[in-house]
Amino acid sequence: MATYPQPPKWAETLIERLAPEHLAEEIKGDLYEMFLTDMKRFNERNARRRYAWRVIGFLGKTFFWKGPTYQTQNMTGNYFKMAKRSLLANKGTTTINVLGLVIGIASALAIISIIRFELSFDTFHTDHQNIYRLVRVSGADLSEFRTGVPYAITPAMKDISSIKKMTKLEYLRGASVDVLSADGKFERQFIEEEGVVTVEPEFFDVIDFAGSPIKWISGDPKTSLREPSSLVITRTVAKKYFGDESPIGRTLRFQKVFDFKITGVIEDFPSNTDFPFRMLVSYASMPLLFKDRMSDWVSVNDGHAVYVVLHDGVEVKDVEAQIAKIHAANVGKDLAEYRHYFLQPLREVHFDPKFGTFSRRTITHETILALKLIVLCLLAVGCINYVNLSTAHSTMRSKEIGMRKIMGSTQGNLILQFLAETLIIVLVASFAALGLVAVFMPSLAAMLGLQVSINFSDPFLWITLALIIAIVTISAGLYPALLISRFNPLTAIKNRFAAGRVAGISLRKTLVVFQFTATQVLAVATFIVVAQMDFFRNVDMGFDRNAAVVTIRLLNNDQASLSSFESELRRLPFVENVAKSFTLPSGVDRNRNSRNIGKPEANDVQDFQNYEYSAIDENFLDLYGIRLIAGRNLTPADSSKNILVNEALMKNLGYTNPQDIVGAELKLGGDGLVHVVGVINDYYGNSLKERVDNIALDANADRYRQVSVRLNLAAGQNMTDVLTQLEQTWKSIYPEHVFQFRFLDDNIAMFYEQELKYSRLFQVFSTMFVLIGCLGLYGLITFVANRKGKEIAVRKTLGASVANIIVMFSREYIVLITVSFALAVPIAWYGVNEWLMNFENHIDVQWWLFAAPGAIVLAIALAVVCMKSFNAAIANPVDKLRNE
Amino acid sequence: MSGRIYLGELEELILLMVALIDKEAYGVSITAALEAQTGRVISISAVHAALHRLEEKGFVKSKMGGASMERGGRRKRLFQITAYGRQTLEELRDVRNMIWTQILNT
Repeated sequence: MATYPQPPKWAETLIERLAPEHLAEEIKGDLYEMFLTDMKRFNERNARRRYAWRVIGFLGKTFFWKGPTYQTQNMTGNYFKMAKRSLLANKGTTTINVLGLVIGIASALAIISIIRFELSFDTFHTDHQNIYRLVRVSGADLSEFRTGVPYAITPAMKDISSIKKMTKLEYLRGASVDVLSADGKFERQFIEEEGVVTVEPEFFDVIDFAGSPIKWISGDPKTSLREPSSLVITRTVAKKYFGDESPIGRTLRFQKVFDFKITGVIEDFPSNTDFPFRMLVSYASMPLLFKDRMSDWVSVNDGHAVYVVLHDGVEVKDVEAQIAKIHAANVGKDLAEYRHYFLQPLREVHFDPKFGTFSRRTITHETILALKLIVLCLLAVGCINYVNLSTAHSTMRSKEIGMRKIMGSTQGNLILQFLAETLIIVLVASFAALGLVAVFMPSLAAMLGLQVSINFSDPFLWITLALIIAIVTISAGLYPALLISRFNPLTAIKNRFAAGRVAGISLRKTLVVFQFTATQVLAVATFIVVAQMDFFRNVDMGFDRNAAVVTIRLLNNDQASLSSFESELRRLPFVENVAKSFTLPSGVDRNRNSRNIGKPEANDVQDFQNYEYSAIDENFLDLYGIRLIAGRNLTPADSSKNILVNEALMKNLGYTNPQDIVGAELKLGGDGLVHVVGVINDYYGNSLKERVDNIALDANADRYRQVSVRLNLAAGQNMTDVLTQLEQTWKSIYPEHVFQFRFLDDNIAMFYEQELKYSRLFQVFSTMFVLIGCLGLYGLITFVANRKGKEIAVRKTLGASVANIIVMFSREYIVLITVSFALAVPIAWYGVNEWLMNFENHIDVQWWLFAAPGAIVLAIALAVVCMKSFNAAIANPVDKLRNE
Repeated sequence: MSGRIYLGELEELILLMVALIDKEAYGVSITAALEAQTGRVISISAVHAALHRLEEKGFVKSKMGGASMERGGRRKRLFQITAYGRQTLEELRDVRNMIWTQILNT
């Protein structure tokens, strides 16, 4: 180059750096040409000077600084056009990619909606960060978690200065409500299982529903709930009871005794609240309902709840200490040590299953975390499909890429083009997913018993969708885009197999392993959850849980009607046995009442045992198949001073031999002595999630509230007929009472309702995982089978059998899936153990619970692989080899 | 082509040069032709700017030509007058001719 004269370096660099790309070449060319001419005319120094001046001249011109007005102006549209063409050219791959993402995104949207619904519970109250629920934790080991608070404690808490506001309420389950006509005559009866509550006017100061659309249609919180016997109902209830008539001023009679006058109508409470109230009775009516119990410091009703709002910056511990002081000052020493009160933040109420809620729904943070992980994994496996298929296909496209590069595409151009392709796929998938969710959300919500819906006017939905689109596009598209755009154009065109090795086969294997690990973890989890549900449904609870028993609730305990009802029932041909009792042996409808009991010499709290007491008649044990281990059954002649105890109570009282406790005297906490006449076997009064409680039974006929009817159906007898006859019998004795019945097994099944719902959710989503995974496999195999068409043909010509070729294909995937199974086992093991630890009674984790889902996933995956490779294997080799 | 034609004096000259040189019109040759025809020395950057404006206005079109050794291997941008450019030049000439006829007649 030394033979050529050089223009000044700095001026040349200046032009190179500053000149717009589309002008640089011609300008530099012209300048250099003139420089050479100058060299001939003048000396070199002069020529260089003139060159520099010209460069500076360019810098003074406006056109020099303007962007290009032609050439690349329509590249964005071009990216999409190219993307569309290449997607349409590979319809199979595109379909698999879209399907995988549709399933992933739709599931993600559905689960996100559910999570959002669960997290939104009671967050719309003004003070929701400062609201606390007073809860009761009892037992020497603090193992009993309840929400009920004695009536007398709240008035005494008025003096605690840290409490800004306080409200108490009593939730009443299973109310019978009579509609009275304007002149006080009985019209109709309704049963309100849920939603009846007594509240103070202050309730709406504390739980104010400020952020929800609830409002008063008539009446107002300050006055409508002030007077005793006033009642506020929601719009739906008003509609159900009175149709279009105005309910204001009408009277409803509760439990056949209490007349409450309607003073207000309120909009329905939102679905995302744990205060699902529908009929609000003024708290001032409480003395009518509970009389002298209102001043009781000891006995507790679990429906009686207290909510407080604390001042900002108050230590919860201090307030709890002050409540403990009040409690200790008013009850005996033993109870003060046995029972403790704590403040539970309202924001934890929906997430703590220990205490429960009025809506009967809670969801643990662990479940929410599991759901979040499922969302991530579902999106991840969708993306993995995309990455796998596009990297696999990149080898096919290497020629295109090489050509584009030679024609002047920069790496940036190519990355944008591949991202545009991904974006199109993700957009199509997202909107298909949105449609899918809109269609299936109602049935999913119904299955889970949630009132979640997809609301298209909700900005959150669109933000979520936009985020999903962005994240999926980047995470699915970026790696293939970078990989493909890095191809060296020469190798790409010359030798596509060289490029094939670059396309990250080991990465693809890793991703397949990840995909199937996630799938198998979920499959194992699903198996274990289902097995546990099965265990709950079938395990021996200590009584005959499978008997066809109809339980009927009584609304009064009039002995004459009850005995005539019993004898009428016994006359029915299909009735095998009838028993009267205070409550059921088990099931969600069971009432609990607990007291303390100890040996006669007991004095300290440690000597007493907390137990549940219930009243039964002489048929109860027989009807439910509860065994008498020692002593005798109760008879109608037994007073309430003669009791049966269960084995757990016996052992906890320090007796080992059932014979020893029979005939013993026991001391009730502050309530005289009782006489043990027999010992019965343990049965689960609560769900199997908990332990067996201490139970004692007496024969106090005044406390009968349930009638259990054991049926013995003749073959072909219709259950509807049976129920109709039972109802007729009921109506003949209790004409004004609604016939309320339940099947025992339903009642027990309801313990596990929530677990059952989430186990269904798990089943649905593990199916999704398997589906997406297999779609991806199918795509990969299709691709490999096409690529290896010639290889297969040659092998066949050389004598390979169809089986050989299928083995050749599936070997790799068997290895991959086995590896992912090995990874999945410890993860699933940890997860299910954590979950099972929630339950007092749970299945043992057995090897087949891991092996079976693993084998099923492997079988499904192999079926997909074999199906496709079989097609490739039976193809006639001639077709593949004919054209070279 | 109604209304005023926005063509500056320098632009008109350069457009004439493009028409004159025909096939080989680019920055350097146009500058040289200008000097040869009119004796005016115009800086290369001004020529480029004018060509750029002419192209924007649609009087000329351009394409990249071949590379040559005396340009250090760089290509030139070759300009060609468009039909519109030619028509514009003719219109300007006609107007001037008409005015001159009137001047001479007086």
